[in-house]
Amino acid sequence: MSNLLLLVFIPFIGACIALIVGATRIPAKYQKSLAFLLSLLPLAHLLIGFGSWNGELLRYPWISSIGIDFSLAMDPLSLFFVLLTAIITPIAISTVSSERQKSPGLYFFLILTLQGILFILFTAKDLALFTIAWESMLLPLYFIINFWGGSQRQSAALQFLIYMIAGSSLFVAGVLGLYFTAPQATFDLDTLATSAAQAPYAMLIFLAFIIAFAVKTPLFPFHAWLPETYVEAPFAGTILLSSLLSKAGIYGFARIGYGLFPGFMVQFSLPLLILAIIGALYAATTAWTQRGIKNVIAYSSLSHVNFILAGIFVTAPIAFQGAILQAFNHGITIGALFLITYWLQIRTGETTLGSFKGAAKYFPALCWFSLFFVLSSIALPATNSFVGELLILFGLFSRNMWLGSILALSVILSAIYMLRWIQKLYFEEPKEASLLNARDLGSKELSIAIPLAALILALGIYPAPWLKEIEPTALRIAEVTEHSEKNLTSDNYKTVLVQLIDILTPKERVQNLLAVNDAPYYDPFSDVIEVLRQQGEFGQEQSNSSQNETQAEERKQEEKRILQTQADRRLQEEHEQQRAADKRLDVEHELQRAAQNRRDVANTLQRDRDLRRIEQEHRLERQREDRRLEERRLQRQRENR
Amino acid sequence: MSTTLNITDFLAISPLLILLFGALILILLESFWVGASKKGGTTIAFITFLIALLAAAWAPASHSPLLTNWLQFDPLARFFALLFLAVGIGSVLLSEPFIERFNISCGEFLFLILSATAGLLLISSAADFLTLFIGFETLSIALYVLCGFIKRWLNTREASTKYFLLGALSSGFLLYGIALIYGAVGTTKFADLITGYHAIETASDKFLFLGGAAFVTMGLAFKAAIVPLHTWAPDVYDGSPTPVTAFMAVATKIGAFAAFIRVFMLALPQFSPIWNQSIAILVYPTLIYANFVAMRQIQLRRFFAYSGIAHAGFLLIPLAVGGNDALSALLFYLVIYALATLCCFAVMAFLDKRESGVFIHDLHGLYTRSPMLAIILSIALLTLAGIPPSIGFIAKFYVFKVAFQAGYYGLVIVGLLTTILSAYYYLRIVALMFAKAPSEEEKPIHSLPALSVATFCIAALLLLSIYPQPFLDLIGTVDKFKA
Repeated sequence: MSNLLLLVFIPFIGACIALIVGATRIPAKYQKSLAFLLSLLPLAHLLIGFGSWNGELLRYPWISSIGIDFSLAMDPLSLFFVLLTAIITPIAISTVSSERQKSPGLYFFLILTLQGILFILFTAKDLALFTIAWESMLLPLYFIINFWGGSQRQSAALQFLIYMIAGSSLFVAGVLGLYFTAPQATFDLDTLATSAAQAPYAMLIFLAFIIAFAVKTPLFPFHAWLPETYVEAPFAGTILLSSLLSKAGIYGFARIGYGLFPGFMVQFSLPLLILAIIGALYAATTAWTQRGIKNVIAYSSLSHVNFILAGIFVTAPIAFQGAILQAFNHGITIGALFLITYWLQIRTGETTLGSFKGAAKYFPALCWFSLFFVLSSIALPATNSFVGELLILFGLFSRNMWLGSILALSVILSAIYMLRWIQKLYFEEPKEASLLNARDLGSKELSIAIPLAALILALGIYPAPWLKEIEPTALRIAEVTEHSEKNLTSDNYKTVLVQLIDILTPKERVQNLLAVNDAPYYDPFSDVIEVLRQQGEFGQEQSNSSQNETQAEERKQEEKRILQTQADRRLQEEHEQQRAADKRLDVEHELQRAAQNRRDVANTLQRDRDLRRIEQEHRLERQREDRRLEERRLQRQRENR
Repeated sequence: MSTTLNITDFLAISPLLILLFGALILILLESFWVGASKKGGTTIAFITFLIALLAAAWAPASHSPLLTNWLQFDPLARFFALLFLAVGIGSVLLSEPFIERFNISCGEFLFLILSATAGLLLISSAADFLTLFIGFETLSIALYVLCGFIKRWLNTREASTKYFLLGALSSGFLLYGIALIYGAVGTTKFADLITGYHAIETASDKFLFLGGAAFVTMGLAFKAAIVPLHTWAPDVYDGSPTPVTAFMAVATKIGAFAAFIRVFMLALPQFSPIWNQSIAILVYPTLIYANFVAMRQIQLRRFFAYSGIAHAGFLLIPLAVGGNDALSALLFYLVIYALATLCCFAVMAFLDKRESGVFIHDLHGLYTRSPMLAIILSIALLTLAGIPPSIGFIAKFYVFKVAFQAGYYGLVIVGLLTTILSAYYYLRIVALMFAKAPSEEEKPIHSLPALSVATFCIAALLLLSIYPQPFLDLIGTVDKFKA
């Protein structure tokens, strides 16, 4: 069994184990430990043979009637996201409180299933498999929000679902469109990479994909589902959503956007870039004014995700490298931030800023870790985000200084709102004594927080090996996009419009329909004659059949059928003959008409000649007359004289 | 030409004979020995179906002209026979808890189910319009009685009357259409229809034929409950006893589409673009109306009526498209729909305690009362909604693929949009089952037969979700035979 297959199936097997254990009477505490260990297995599996993962491949025919293969491949781009998934899932599980938890088995089942689905999504080499994984992601999250979320969980879950399914339907439509209009009908991403952009409606399909990814990430202005969903989801759900789901969208832009339509990515770069920058600033200012503890982090996640998208849309290799690295960093940091928010919330029981103050006095360790993760989030040098955001800004500045400076504002804003957040929670004069009873971080919590902090530092201090991993991908993209049109022209808009109109008016079928109405013309008299003739045939046969024996009847029926077919054939022959005769007649007519024409022409010529002759005669005569008159006049003059 | 039937011919029609024989035994037992019928009725019906199923699996094809003029023995007929008999077994098992609870006459009920299935077998193997019509009448008359089976329930009486009146009208349409077609081409044999159609030379005969085709389509569309001929379905489904509704929702729907396949996909493949175009036009109101109305239903039988109409809209898409692969897509979707719907009704059999049926709010907090039922029902509903990774997604995908290839973009778009709507109302039920605490602390009834149906359907759905290829291959062989 190949390593990749094992990696993909461990979570599903783990999920089933968690479900089975959940049905027994084992206490929730042990179930949680078991699920935590199960979710660590893929991470261990990834780390054991870390060097050998790159280039791992597998392909099995799955549903060959529709041409879908179960085909997975691991490349550096996939590896980043797979690793992130493997790290974040245990963290999400650790936030499931083991007391008073309804059906924990199902909860762990859903989280582990989501992990497996994400592994498939991030390594899929087949567009249909990618689509199935893409859509399947929704369900576990929907249930997690719906069952274990806050007080408004049901409406939040439904809103999330509707947004996502709307995006997914566009995605499915795009995939189908690509499959049937691309030069090669295939779902294989490698083959599509060379042929997708040549599809007749490539630009529309590209836009459908872009909108689907934009909803999932979410890119401004497709973010309306995010605040309520993030806040109402349980912490495990929020961590999965912010760390992993948003990365699925980013991965989509990188893998499908750049993989299939690099030219369009460059052409649409500017509008997308502007949306992403607006999103980063808008979310940052909104985060500043939030009152909920979780809301601030939710909007900060939105702001940072748009920042990363800006890096993706710059189309400079350095910014792309930065964006992919930053996607990984953001996953770690935002997961850590929600984790400490959860730890704080279970200790205080409060959800709004300002309902308690000065928590640092009671939980010093928690405070230090919070501060560390907040600093990582606002991109302090020597933390991971610093490297990623710097590379993105670097790429953007080299492309457009003004856009770069506007985006850089969001870094300042993030420092403002995050520091405000931590100050309000930890560093004001404490006013409540109720927090005295709660205890600081325990060893279990430390054992999660310390590796995360170490990872953040490691990435911040020595990012070179990570960047080197992603460099070939970035350079390849740069190579592909080098020769394509750099900006959107009015032609592009026209193309989109024309293609839309083209799709909405099915011309060919309309033409077919018109062709049907264009039935050949029948001579009404031949019609009547034929009907009469047919009736005659039938009448003869009916009068003959009056015996009762079955055999005879059968034979007669056979005969009748033969007669009928013969009659039919005869009729047909006659028709053909008639048609041939008609044609012959037509030809004769044509000939006659031609002859007539010739005669006509000749006649005209003759008449012309005659006319001319007569005219000439007339003229001659007149001349003669004139001459005669002249002579007579002369004679008369002579006589007069 | 031989006029006698030999053993092969009898074996070829053995499923039908076994069914009728079993039905006869049941009705005789019911007449003369009520006690035995009460005790062993279900077993007899079950065994009859099982033997018929085995017979259908191994039956040889007959070549006697006495039979082949009326019945076809191709792989499609065998496929449908197996499907109908399996659904029949499911219905018998589902009606067992129902018969027990409401104490109704078992033999009569099962006799009617058996004869309705015999009608379905006739429909799916018909080689002539007359066989098709006889099949439909056998099915319908049994169903009219089944709908009003519990005479003391007001609703069922209303349902039965409505179904009878409208059903008779639709049979009239069907027969009139057959008559017009006969008038145009002089035959009712499926095999001669297409040559007859192409031999038509006069505009008047062509008009006659197309008119007949339109009437036949209307008759079948009524049976399949397609908007605007759907009006009977919600009331009848709502009023009938739950096992009868299950039988109607699954078997009758498949029967109508089997007839569509026999007449318009095999006998008259793509005979006129006008027909395909009009079927495509029917898809829009069917999908849109049914999905919108289904969102507001609270009674589950009525809900499944609208859900069934919506799925009939989906099933019409390959029919409208015709051509390559359409039959495969249609059969695949039919089977998935049948499995998932039967599974839903199997779960309803556990909760069905009143005349008025199961309401959506009865499902509140089902997960805490019976986790297994809740999980089974949610998988079935997710399959119906077509949400991946369930096999329902692949089924819808296949249908879209066929429509896309033929250039019916409008159908694909409306299909995708209504899928969003359907996801809403199916998931609403799923959420309800898991979300809140139970409104009343009552345990569902325990019934082994219904449980076995649910387990079988779920196992089939899950297996198909993981690896559908062998089944697609099987359907592919049926499709290939057509060519």
